[in-house]
Formats: sequence, C-alpha cells, structure tokens
Amino acid sequence: MERGATLWFTGLPCSGKTTLAHLVEAALRQRGRKVEILDGDVVRTHLSKGLGFSREDRETNLRRIGFVAKLLTRNGVIAIVAAVSPYRDVRDAVRADITDFVEVYVKCSVDVCMTRDVKGMYKLALEGKIKEFTGVSDPYEEPLTPEIVAETHREAPEASATRIIRRLEALDLIQPVSSSGYSLEEEAEVTRRLEALGYLS
Amino acid sequence: MSKHNRQRCVVIGLDGVPFSFLNSLMANGELPNLRKIFSNGSLRQLNSVIPTVSSVAWTSFMTGKNPGKHGIYGFVDRELNTYNTFIPTTRNIRGETLWEVLSRHGKRVVVMNVPISYPPRPVNGILVGCFLTPTLEKGVYPPSIVPTLQRLGYRIDVDAWIARKSLDEFLKELKTVLERRAEVTLHFLRNGDWDFLMMHFMETDRLHHFLWEQMQAADERYQSRCLDIYRFIDGVIGDLWAELDGDTSLVMLSDHGFCTIRQEINLNAWLRQNGWLKFRNDPPASLEEIHPDSVAYSVIPGKIYLNLEGREPQGSVRPAEYERLRDQLARQIAGLRDSESGEFAVDRVLTREEAYCGPAFAQAPDLIVLPRDGYDLKADLKKERLFERGIFTGMHTFSDAFLFFSSRTLPDRTIEMVEVMPTILQEMGIPAPDDLDAAPLAV
Repeated sequence: MERGATLWFTGLPCSGKTTLAHLVEAALRQRGRKVEILDGDVVRTHLSKGLGFSREDRETNLRRIGFVAKLLTRNGVIAIVAAVSPYRDVRDAVRADITDFVEVYVKCSVDVCMTRDVKGMYKLALEGKIKEFTGVSDPYEEPLTPEIVAETHREAPEASATRIIRRLEALDLIQPVSSSGYSLEEEAEVTRRLEALGYLS
Repeated sequence: MSKHNRQRCVVIGLDGVPFSFLNSLMANGELPNLRKIFSNGSLRQLNSVIPTVSSVAWTSFMTGKNPGKHGIYGFVDRELNTYNTFIPTTRNIRGETLWEVLSRHGKRVVVMNVPISYPPRPVNGILVGCFLTPTLEKGVYPPSIVPTLQRLGYRIDVDAWIARKSLDEFLKELKTVLERRAEVTLHFLRNGDWDFLMMHFMETDRLHHFLWEQMQAADERYQSRCLDIYRFIDGVIGDLWAELDGDTSLVMLSDHGFCTIRQEINLNAWLRQNGWLKFRNDPPASLEEIHPDSVAYSVIPGKIYLNLEGREPQGSVRPAEYERLRDQLARQIAGLRDSESGEFAVDRVLTREEAYCGPAFAQAPDLIVLPRDGYDLKADLKKERLFERGIFTGMHTFSDAFLFFSSRTLPDRTIEMVEVMPTILQEMGIPAPDDLDAAPLAV
C-alpha cells in the first residue's frame, strides 16, 4: 500500500486554498494516487452540519475533519484539507494526531483576499452582516513552521501547485517522476537515445 | 468479393523520407515497387509541422491537430511554471489518437512504432510503442503480444551511439533492426485480425541523420549500403502490396524531409552573447541556474521562452513589456547570419499566436525560430560556440515530406499533416471528431 498523507491547506478566506487543492489533486491523480479533498465549506454542509463559527464550533469542525483525514491517510489516501482553520493550537493538535501531516500555508494579504471576495462574504462581514468572520472580525493565526508557503498574490496557482508537488517528493510522500511519467532510470535511458540522435542538447 | 468484406487501411510511415529524394531515386530506376504502387494512386508533397521533429509531426498526424491542441511541442519540452525540461510521452498527448477513435467505433487496429506511443494507451487490438519505450515489456498493449515480438526478434530502435564509433557497424545494425521490423509487419499483416494496420519505419531517419551528405555525394564508401536500406524497404512494401485486397487502402507518408547540415547553431549561446540570457553559474548545470535578469532562454529546437514574471519562477519580464521585448528579440534573431558564408540562417520567427491555437496553448514557446535549410538549431547550455559542425550530416526540413493514397485522388497541391487523419477516417467510414484542425481531403 502506498504511503498516505494529509495536506492541510490553511489560510484566510479567498486566499486560494480551494484552487490550489484542486490543482494538486489533479497532479496527484495523474500519478495514479488516491486523493480525497475535504473542503471546509463542503464539510460544513454534511459532516459538520449545524456547527457555527464560534471558537468552540470551529474547533469541533476541524477536529472532525482531522479525524476523517487521519482515517484516509492511514489507508494510503492523500487527504487534502482546504479549510481556513484559523487557530494554531487546533492545527497543531491535528498535526500531532497524524503521522504524515503537511501544512500548506496559503498566504495572501487580507486586502488582496478582499478584492477576490469570491462569495461576497468579506463585503457582508465589513457591513457587519456576518459576525466572527476570519480576517475581519475574527483572528487568523499564521502557521509558524509550515512545510510549504504558497504566496498566492505573488505566484501563479500552477507554480504554487508544482512547488507543493516537488515538496511532497522531497518529503518522500510521493515518488518523483518526470512530467512524462518515466522513472528516473527510464528517463536516463530514453535521454541517452535522444542525445545519440542530436534531439537533446 | 474481398476476403474480408470490410473497408481496411494500411499505413506505412517512412520517417524523414523526402518527397524530392523519393522522386529522384525513382527517376534513376530505383524503387521499382514503389514506382508501380505510386502509379496506382496519388502521390503529393506534404508539409511537416512546427517545430519540425518527429514527435510533433507524428502526433499531429495521429490526432489531426496542431501542437496547440495535442500538447506535444518537441522531443523535449519545458514544464510550465518551471525551468525543468521533460520528455513528453502519451501522458502528455491531449485528446484521442486515430487508433483510439477507430477502436471506439469497433475497428480492430494494429499500430507499431509510431512516435509518440509510449506508454501504450489501450486500443481495440495491438499497439507497440515507439523508440521512446524504455523496454519492450512496458511498451506493448496488450502485454500478451510481447513473446511474439521477442520470438520475431523485434527491436525498439537501432542504437545510434554506434554511429559515433563506426558508420559501417551502424549500417549493419540499422539493416538488422529494419529486417526485424519488416518481419513483424508482415507477420501481423498476414496473421492478425485488423481493420487498420500501421507500421512506422524509423530507420530512414536514422540513416539520414548520419549519412545524408554522404548519400547526396554518392560517397562510394557508403552509397551502396545506404541504397540497400531503400531497396530493402521497397521490397517489403512490394510484398505488403501483394497481400492487399481491393478493399484495403494503402497510405504511405513521411513526417519531414532532409537536407545537408551546413552549421549547427546554438541558440542559447546566441542569447547569451547578445545579452538576453545570463546564468548565476558558469557553466550552468541546468536552466534552473538562470539569472533573474535574463529575458529569454531556448529549448531545442528553436523554441524561445521569455523569462516572464508570474510564469517563470525567476521571471523578470513584466507582462507589460512582453510584446515589445518579444518583437525586439524576434527581429534580432531573424538577422542571425552564418559566420562563414554571411548568409541569413533564419527563415522566419513566428510568435506562439501565429503558430498554435488550442487548449495546450499555454505550454507553447513564445517564439519559434524556423531555420533556413542547412541550419540546425540547438540549445546547449554549456557550449559557448555559436556555430559548430558535429557528427550529423543531415537535418530535418519542413516542406519536403510525402503523402500517398492508393484509394483516392488527392488535391493537386501540397498537403498539410493535419489533413491526413480525417482523410483516413473518411476512407474507413468513421465520423471524425469535431475538434480536428482540418477536413478530409476532397476525393
């Protein structure tokens, strides 16, 4: 069985967590890996239906997500969590419970996030119509030692996704392959053939 | 009534065989079988693709699309948003191939050695991967066919490194590989159940890369054995033709022509000498050591990428400056001259928008340099020399490939590579996908 992992994408609302999660999912599936996305918004309509945004409810929501991620991870699945998860101690508690845990800090200034405001939530929060909104009326505690930082206001999503994949390779959570899918040994043999014909410099 | 009572098609790929060279050989009395077969159908000049390399050309043949749609831009490509290069395989081909379309419509296919066909995608029939297959065991669908291929002594490709030690040994090895490939072709032709059969012979391309100049000069050390390769192919096609019934179309084509190399030109050396490209270390180990101040870099053959902010990891070209710098670079490269003769070495420089369109457009180079015949474009990072002559004496040309159809009269003009697939589908009564680049050639 292949080694599973939990990739925990944390960041402000509209920082790009879901976008990156899907790009990484696609890349992992192309390598034949089993992947499951646990998106914070989706989980709230099913697993955590009825929970609000108080500190206590957020913590419960995240611990439930962490529990499911742990089950997936120990069965060889790469569980991708995309949730704001604003509290450092809760994230650290989830990390402590999962062996192969990779924290991806999807970093973006709140000003840029507000300009994105995909669902209009920042606007409502600034108007006071939504309470306890992270980045406006609720704090976000930055990770101190994330495995990866993706600065989405500086870097294209595809570039961030590629770096995340490379980091997973470096952490030995996924096997490195060339973009074409050759093993390194196979690529060396095929490279040799192409060099013999002058098709590679 | 035909034996099979169904419309069948055989396609023979002859890699790198020029239309002009075929005609000159036949005019000199060579290739009697091909001469006879060609007189029973329609032979035309065929354009290759851009860039003019087999992986791109045959992928355009098998998909009916330009690289902007199928996603293959060379034997080596640059991974988007990185400076990493990789060797494209079928995993990188977007959309269906000709044999997948045929399979989907219940046609049985036997396809052998067509670049790019590794890893083999499942088909309704048999697929033997091309020379980019690391081992035969991994490159055949279904794997149960491997023992048959091994029994027949099938070889993936000639070892071209032999040519550096001895051209005599290389020619001997080339003939052996060719003979085995021919035997496998005739085996499946005679013994297989198929509606579509294609074998691609790479040996002509291998021959031309190392011995084109010698062939043109009728170098007596090699001429006879070089012609033997062509005579052997002529014989095999004659045997094949004799096996075909009246309901089987024969299509033959090449993917590009050949000409003698005058100079190899290292575009990355040119970029460095002209201030467009810098590295942090000298010599650089890879493109990843590019200096952020660089404006552009090249990947073989003739592909130029701007070091674009937001796309390249160390990109410094601001999007607002992209078009101005790209135009400036294109004009400067177009003025590149042969250091010996003073002649212009570049035919044209195309922008990505001029050359490509489709969902794989983001992968396209920003500029594509089309050399004049005789100037082979390289992209070595370590070499500083701009012009060089190496071991190769032949290089690919764009406009001198050939196409033959036994079963229809082709339009009296040069044909485009993307027109072949829809025409074959029409021959076989199969509707073409609606995203192809061209319509079938009119009967």
